[in-house]
This record gives sequence, structure tokens and C-alpha cells, in this order.
Amino acid sequence: MRRLVGSLLIIGSLAGLGHDAMAAQAGRLRYLAAVYLDDQGHGMRQPEAVACNDRSALVVADTGGGRLLRYTVGDWDAKPAGEIRAPELSLPVRVQMNSKDEVFALDGARRRVVRFNANGTFKGYLAPEGIPAPASVVPRSLAIDRNDTIYLLDIFSARVLVLDPNGRYVRAVPFPKDHGFFSDVAVDSRGTIYLVDSITTTVYATRKSPGEFAPLAKSLRAHVTFPTSIVVDGRGIIYVVDQAGGGIVLLDRDGTVLGRQLAMGWNEGLVRSPSQLCINDKGQVFVADRGNSRVQIFSIAR
Amino acid sequence: MTGRQVSVTVFWVTLGAILLPWLATPVADGNEKFRLKPGAEGKLCLDCHSDFTLKLKSRFVHTPVKTGNCTGCHSPHTSAHGKLLSASTRSICLTCHEDVLPEKARSAHRPVIEGRCGTCHDPHASSYKGNLSKNGNELCVGCHTTVVDTAAKAKFPHLPVSDGCLDCHNPHASTAATRLLRSPLPALCIECHQPDAGFTKQHGGYPVGTANCVSCHAAHGSNTRGILFDTVHAPVAGKACTQCHNPPTAAQPFATTRTGFELCRGCHGKTMNETFGKTRVHWPLLDKTGCLNCHEAHASRKPKLLNVDEAALCGRCHGETTAFQRRLTEKAKQEKPRSKSRVEIGSLTHDPVQRGTCSACHSPHASNSTRLLNQESTVELCGGCHDWLKHESHPMGERYRDKRSKNLSVDCLSCHRSHGTGYRYLIAFPTPTELCVQCHKQQKR
Repeated sequence: MRRLVGSLLIIGSLAGLGHDAMAAQAGRLRYLAAVYLDDQGHGMRQPEAVACNDRSALVVADTGGGRLLRYTVGDWDAKPAGEIRAPELSLPVRVQMNSKDEVFALDGARRRVVRFNANGTFKGYLAPEGIPAPASVVPRSLAIDRNDTIYLLDIFSARVLVLDPNGRYVRAVPFPKDHGFFSDVAVDSRGTIYLVDSITTTVYATRKSPGEFAPLAKSLRAHVTFPTSIVVDGRGIIYVVDQAGGGIVLLDRDGTVLGRQLAMGWNEGLVRSPSQLCINDKGQVFVADRGNSRVQIFSIAR
Repeated sequence: MTGRQVSVTVFWVTLGAILLPWLATPVADGNEKFRLKPGAEGKLCLDCHSDFTLKLKSRFVHTPVKTGNCTGCHSPHTSAHGKLLSASTRSICLTCHEDVLPEKARSAHRPVIEGRCGTCHDPHASSYKGNLSKNGNELCVGCHTTVVDTAAKAKFPHLPVSDGCLDCHNPHASTAATRLLRSPLPALCIECHQPDAGFTKQHGGYPVGTANCVSCHAAHGSNTRGILFDTVHAPVAGKACTQCHNPPTAAQPFATTRTGFELCRGCHGKTMNETFGKTRVHWPLLDKTGCLNCHEAHASRKPKLLNVDEAALCGRCHGETTAFQRRLTEKAKQEKPRSKSRVEIGSLTHDPVQRGTCSACHSPHASNSTRLLNQESTVELCGGCHDWLKHESHPMGERYRDKRSKNLSVDCLSCHRSHGTGYRYLIAFPTPTELCVQCHKQQKR
């Protein structure tokens, strides 16, 4: 009997340790720097999106300024590297980069994805080709994986469109039944697609079947107020941005909550209405701090 | 039949005869439990509770009362429940009447769930069938005042409402439908309104016998002909269903010709152009459901064909905001008594939010501002009500930078949060001093 109790206690502690170890691996966000200005010394206004890559490039959607700002990321900060301004883009609300450093920006006013070359010149619009009916598409967000496959969150036709790097239709994954409103899409290194439902505060994923979304776990109501963005890092840790609650919630692959980071406020290190974040291979986290009109850089402290 | 079979049959019949009286007893037999003298049951109780003598002459008497089994429900010595009941009302009543709350009920009456059977029933005796405390609709009006009053005043009443609520509703629970309805819709309606040729013609030739009747009709009566809800969508009023739907002869007659906002754009072009002329559109307007996220397609009780009241409507998606308002209201109430000795100044709640008029500050369709505010400048927006702030306040506007973030200018939201914070004056810090020293650091002590 004693052996049995002892074994149970050991198993229990190991289970707890596993979770703690995972939580520790997820890490805490430590403030590094805040980015306020462009290369001309002008401030950004209500930036809503950020994109970064492993080649030290950072692109900020200066939403209120109607432009994109480029930065070169150092170990502790980011230096301005010019702006992308085009008449085709008036209100960038989401931004992503592919492996060729091409920039994809969702124009919230005209609800279309504008594509820029690596040098910042306008390349064209992302017009999905060969999509099955219904033909109408209203993109709310997009994600790009390591192979440059594009995942377009189409709220009008309630689906995620998977497109090849040239925008040609590959497949579509329909939204699950009984959802609230999906605000963002993400994809991990294994090809699993994630959706965040702002209303039901639930994360959905195509884990069990690549053609079907299922809730990753129960609602995150106890941890978030109104999540609007989702990102997955290279280790599979899921970052959910709580815009209304001013924070970021970290989940593991199974949807277990690993913790909540950041808090609401004005001072550096605090956020107000964070909109989107991105993570590079150095473990630097860039947060579009819309309410404070800046981008903040954090490192993951493990 | 063999001898063995006969003896087995005799055994079961005898066992049944012994157990039947015990099984038939609805509640615990008080005589044995309390070792009452023979014949001392209800008669003993009536020695003191003499007012029950008159009650027992009522037309309908509850069976345990009739049989004098007072201890079936009451504990004569002590009890942890009111009126010396031997258990909670819910468990006592459900001992005999367990069928009133079926396991697979799709809807149930709140008093039944909460075990407040006495809300409708007199547990001892009554002049009305089912030991009801009042007769027919008189009973229902006690709680459902608004529904009954509206129905009574309706210019075009629905006859079953005056006949009795039980024509359509089950009083306890329904395994068939929501809202305690006896049958799901439209089956319930079809019991009276046969979908014959005349009925179909009345509905523009559409086979509405399979449709949801209450998407247009107010089941309790209304002031609009055809007991349509008071706000009717123009194509419905004009019976121009094909403006939105396939023709009635189509394979899918109820399917709409387009989906989402594209359907509404055909008639509401001006509103749509204004909406899409703004930089920020309320995203749900652009999804598959589109305008119907907030508006009814056919008819509504609410103005502008809204689904429900404005506050409830916004709260469907922004529930955390509305829940926070309820918590703030509760906090304000709790803090009030304590403030008798000293006057508490500064509100915890913002009046438009409390009144549920979200549109006082937000544009529900689109805006050029973040947070879909009615005006791009917060100072101008707040100044619409708080006009003094334009000439008598802390310096605000583009000229004045917020010291905490150099890209921010000082405006109302630099100090206040319009939905409240839990602190007075809707500020983000417990006291005004703590707020002010965020920027005026030299004043910090």
C-alpha cells in the first residue's frame, strides 16, 4: 500500500513538474526597448501590426500614418530602415513577410492584401486564383509559413484559403460550426492552422484533421478578455494577444495555459490595446502597442 | 402449467400484494416514523391548526392533506427548512411529482428549476384545478406582467393568448421545444393555421408551413396587421419577398439571392456607401451573416429592426464590457452606504454605458477612428456632453505630448477610461494624485 501511494505521489509530482517545466520553457517576456520613430524622426501613430524574420528585418504597420515602416533589428533595439508608402495601401492592419522578404499588408479600409517587393516597391494585390464558389473573399488576416504558403482568413465565406506563394488556390478549410468571430489565423512549423475566436475566446486548430478545425481547449475566458491575434513560435508555443485586456497569454500545443504576460499601462514595458506580435529566431518578441503608438521589443527570459 | 410454475407465480403475486401498498405510498409514512397514536395523523395537527378546517373544504385538496398525512411533508418537531418542512420544497415535491422536470427537457420554467412550486401552487388546497393559487392567465401575469400587458393592449391580438397561456406553453418544462412551447415551431402554429392554398397565397406563394413563424409574427399580438412585429422590413410589408429570396417556385425558395452585406447593398446602397467610405468597418458586418448579426431580416420589436436592445446586442460579442458594467454598478451600490459620513465625489460608471447607449460614442457600422468612435478627436467626442472641458481643463490636444509615450498627445483617454476602471472619476489609478504623478513626477512625494 505504501509503495502504491509513493508511486502515485511520484507520478503526480512528475506530472506537475512537466507542466512547470513547459511553463518555464515558455518563458517570461523581459522588456528590451521601445520603437517610436521612423528614419525621419517622425512618430508612428497607432501601429496595429508587426512582421519580422530571421534576417533581422522588422516591418511595422503604422496604421494611423497609412504606411509601413522598416527597421533593422539589433540585439537590444531596432534601427529605422526606411518606409513603404503607396497609394494602394491606406490603412495597414496586418502585415506578414515571406522568405524572399516580400511584404504582404492587409489594407483594412479596402479589405485587400497589398504585396510589396523586397525593395519596397508595389508588386500587386494578392488576388486568390481558382478559388471555388463562393467567389467573394473578405480577408480579415493572413499568415505565411516557411514554404511561403499563404493562409488567408476569409470571413465573408467562412473559411481559411490556403494559397501557393503565387496566390493560386490549393485548398480551403471551412470555419467550424457555432463559432463567434475569428480575428486572426496562424500556422506552425508542422502545418497546423490556428484560429482565434475573439467572442468565445477559443483557439481552434487543425490538429486532428488538416481539413477541419476543432477547439484546441476550452474557452480562455478566465485568462483573456478579447483576443484579437495569434502567433506560434518555432517551439510550438502559442501566443494569444488580448487586446482589450492588455496582455499576452501563452499556451502549449495542447492548449494548456502556460501563463499570462505583460500588463496594461502607458509606461515602457506595459501595453495598451496590443494588436499583433511577431517572434524571430533570436527569441525577440515585437508587440504592436497600438494604444501607446509604439512597438515594444521583449526578449524571452527562460 | 406445472406445479413449480404455479408456486413461482403464487410467490410473485404474494410479494406484489405485500409490496404494493408500500410502493403506492407517495411520501414517507409519518405514523411509523413518529410513532403517532392510531388515528392521530392530520386530526392531531388540526387541533392546533384549526384554520385548516376551512381550507380543507376547498374544491381541490392536495392528496397528502386529504389523507391527513401532514408528516409526509412536515417534520413536527424540528427542521432545517422553513415551515417545518422535512426537506427543501424541490425535493419534497419531486418525490411524488418527479415527472414535472424531465431529464431531457429543452426548456424549463425557472420556478420549477429552483423548486419554488409555491409560486404557482397552494401546497394544501385551492379552488382551482392542480391546486393553482390563481386561475388561468391571472397566475401568469403575476410574473410575466410585460408580456400579458402588451398582449392585452395589442391592436391585433392573438386569440390563444386570451384563451390561456397553456394553449401554447407547458407550465413546467418542455422536452419538445424552447420557451416552454408544447411543440417546436412551426408545428405548434400549424395545429391551428393549416398551411393550405389560401394560407400559402397569403404568404406570397412561399411554403411557409416549414418556416419559422416568429421571425415575422409576434405570437402574443402586436399593433401591426397580421400580428407582425411592430417594426417591419419594407419588402415584407409590401410582400416583395423576391427582393431578397429566390422565387417561391424555386427548388430552394427561402434561399437568398446573395449572402452577407451584398444582399442588403441592393436597397441600402446609400448606407453601404457611407459605411464603406469610412476607413474602419465593423468587421462582423463583413462576415457571412453580415447585417443580420445585428438586424432582423423580416420584422422586429425593436426600432431599426435591431435583434434586441442595443446594450444586449453589443453585449453578445463584447460581453466582458457589459459584465464589467454590472460589476461597477454593484460596486457603486456597495460603496454608497459607506459614503454617508463623507460625500463620495466622482462616478464609478459612465452614464451612456450604464444606459446601454453604446452608439452615444461608437458608430456601429463604420468610422474613421479606432474603436469605431463617432468622432476622430476624443476631446471633441467627450466635449459633446462634457462641454466645460473645452475651456476649463488640463491642456489637451496635439500640441501637448504625453510624457509616458512621446507619440501620444494628451486627451481625455490619457487619464480616463470611458467604460470605467473601478476607480472614481473613471481614472486608471486608485487616486487622482497617483494618476497625476505619472507625468508630473517632480510632484511625487
